[in-house]
Amino acid sequence: MAAMERIENTQRYISGDDLERPRSTERRSFLGYAIALISTSIASVLGITIGRYTIGPAFSSSGTSEWTNAGLLEEIPEDKPTKRSLVISQDAGWGRMNTQKLIWIIRKGNDLTVFSAVCPHLGCTINEAADGFICPCHGSAWNAKGEKVGGPAPRNLDVLEYRRNGDILEVRYRSFKQGVASQEVVS
Amino acid sequence: MTPAKSLGLRIYDWIDERSGITHIMRSLTDERIRGGASWAYVFGSSLVFLFILQAITGICLALYFVPSADHAHASVAYIQKAVPGGQLLRGLHQYGSSLMVILVVIHMAQTFLFGAYKGKRELLWILGILLFILILGFAFTGCLLPWDQAAYFGTKVGTSIVGEVPLIGEIMQRILLGGSELTTLTLSRFFMLHAFLFPFSIGLLILFHIYLFRRAGAAGPFHHNHEHKVEPFYPNQLFLDATFILVVFIVLVVLAEFWPAELGPMADPTSDYLARPAWYFLPLFQLLKYFPGQLVLIPAVVLPGVAIGFLFLLPFMDRSSERNPVRRPAAVFLLSLLLASPIGLIALSKYQDRSNSEVRGTLEKQQEVSDSFLRAAFHPQEIGRSIPIDPPQISHPTERASTPLKIYFANCANCHGATAAGGPMGPSLVKIAKRRDLSREALGTWIQGHMREPVADSMPSFKQLTNEEIAELSDWLVTLDSPLSSKPEAIPVAVRDGEPPEAYVAACAFCHGSRGEGNIGPSLIGISAMPNRTPEDLLRLLKNSRAYGLKDPMPKSFPKITDKDKGAIVRWIGRLTAEKNPSPAN
Repeated sequence: MAAMERIENTQRYISGDDLERPRSTERRSFLGYAIALISTSIASVLGITIGRYTIGPAFSSSGTSEWTNAGLLEEIPEDKPTKRSLVISQDAGWGRMNTQKLIWIIRKGNDLTVFSAVCPHLGCTINEAADGFICPCHGSAWNAKGEKVGGPAPRNLDVLEYRRNGDILEVRYRSFKQGVASQEVVS
Repeated sequence: MTPAKSLGLRIYDWIDERSGITHIMRSLTDERIRGGASWAYVFGSSLVFLFILQAITGICLALYFVPSADHAHASVAYIQKAVPGGQLLRGLHQYGSSLMVILVVIHMAQTFLFGAYKGKRELLWILGILLFILILGFAFTGCLLPWDQAAYFGTKVGTSIVGEVPLIGEIMQRILLGGSELTTLTLSRFFMLHAFLFPFSIGLLILFHIYLFRRAGAAGPFHHNHEHKVEPFYPNQLFLDATFILVVFIVLVVLAEFWPAELGPMADPTSDYLARPAWYFLPLFQLLKYFPGQLVLIPAVVLPGVAIGFLFLLPFMDRSSERNPVRRPAAVFLLSLLLASPIGLIALSKYQDRSNSEVRGTLEKQQEVSDSFLRAAFHPQEIGRSIPIDPPQISHPTERASTPLKIYFANCANCHGATAAGGPMGPSLVKIAKRRDLSREALGTWIQGHMREPVADSMPSFKQLTNEEIAELSDWLVTLDSPLSSKPEAIPVAVRDGEPPEAYVAACAFCHGSRGEGNIGPSLIGISAMPNRTPEDLLRLLKNSRAYGLKDPMPKSFPKITDKDKGAIVRWIGRLTAEKNPSPAN
């Protein structure tokens, strides 16, 4: 008898019949829905937050400086190539990446011409020459107006936009594609 | 004809046939709860929930976090202040860690009190203790990662306790720190442990823990009244678990939203910050006060060792099957001791900090600084110079040169040049206010470094200057519209004597420091008193350093410096004795 009872108990255990499940199916499904509701609420709060967190910064403004301070206007001498540096900044999340760039400025009265100091040939830094500019790497030469007068460079010097902000000269710095005859903005 | 099954059901069936998911779910949800569902059993599952939450929020934080001493703080400040949802996710992670410590202690205390470690559950219990230790390890390594003042100095105290252990302490401390000091290498190590090794280990241990638990079965109530009532885990117990987890989650969200996780200013190893560890390490911190010198071994090693050892051996020592706490007075007494002593020590530590007016004042001030940093708007870290160094231009000092200012020569001239028209390290300051469109106040905050927080520009913060000095300096700077006269008589005598020759500034200062104090190269102060360093030796050394056994990065020779300039450098170095060398702070 005892053996039979033990076998029956084991069978009950395996089938799960010894478990006291809630009698009414309504209670079972009510609890099931409640559990589902709780898990979904937690998951949605987390999911929405994580979505904003991961995707948000990808759509924020890049914070690249458009007009960059290139120093005082009054310090630029008349009709003499003047070299200036400016810092272009790009916001990238926790950091602001600053890069120093060089420009050449020629002043004629109130008129300014601003050149990028990057050689349109292969990107060396352009120097001042007797009556214009010269690239020390491959000997390309330009006159004081930035027009090409010799060497392997494919085009004239790249002219940059500028504006006056009170006493300060501001330049919209651009990088151009090298080695091509037309001026194409890269960034 | 049975109606056609919906597509969803057919997909489920397809997966089920191949994976047996229904069987797995059934065996998971049919876990037998002896004595029926109870609020007493919610702690284990809520710990699993917290672990998953920590993993999810941790992965999110890793998206922007940079494990380097230079950028860690800026990246955490960015997460906290600028990224949408960042404050919530970081808050969940930080408060979640504290709650995990609390819940794991409750979980263990309950197992202890209900005698639930009995009946072939020794391994289960031991795994639980290992999990507890790992959770503390998570907390300890996580504290350092934001690299703010509290993080840096808290970890410094923590790691120096390790160093107190006799014989192996120093070696262990070095291994932990990745060197003799707390540096960026320490941060890398802690990050690796916190984000890779520990999560992997704890995940495995949790799986084993749950497996052993299911194998041994829930212990059930310690009294035998409801012995026959057995409920499945689903739905009643799971409902209670889910409700408790929801409460836990809401509490964490409210804390994170309304009491944002703390973040102070970036760690400054030179400051005298009063360190306090995270609350769960306060008991150890408080104990250390009572055991001076060699006795530090007792609180740092012996007491925690005894407590952990006791917990490990507990199921082997206590072999009786009695589980009712009322009939186990010794166990209840020990548990109360194990719980009450850390709580008492935390309370005592807080009380002592509060009753010592000096400590209290310092802590309150630190808290204010930390709070105001947290409130301040986010500023991205400047990578590279934010002000250009203009290419050298020939300057023509005019007669209407500005009056030189002593503060300028003591603090700024080394980088910005003796005429303020720009030097080897710093840009020209002539008309700086006009050129950069800066107000007098903005100049002041710039010099003090507040605008560059966290400091990243190569210009140091001059926090040591008083407000009056800053005001005087900025007043002078806004009117500086021409370079200073380079005539020697214009330069204050005290500064002129200590001023290095220009050739030194150009060729040597970068390595040996602007005043010979040493940087990546050795200090030159007092070097002329050393053997083989007479002025003649030094002149010969500058012509052929290899003949004096010097190696890279010291150049072999300096062909660009004239003999006359070499003489000036050697004469200046000869005057560099400890007493005569003017300290830049004066």
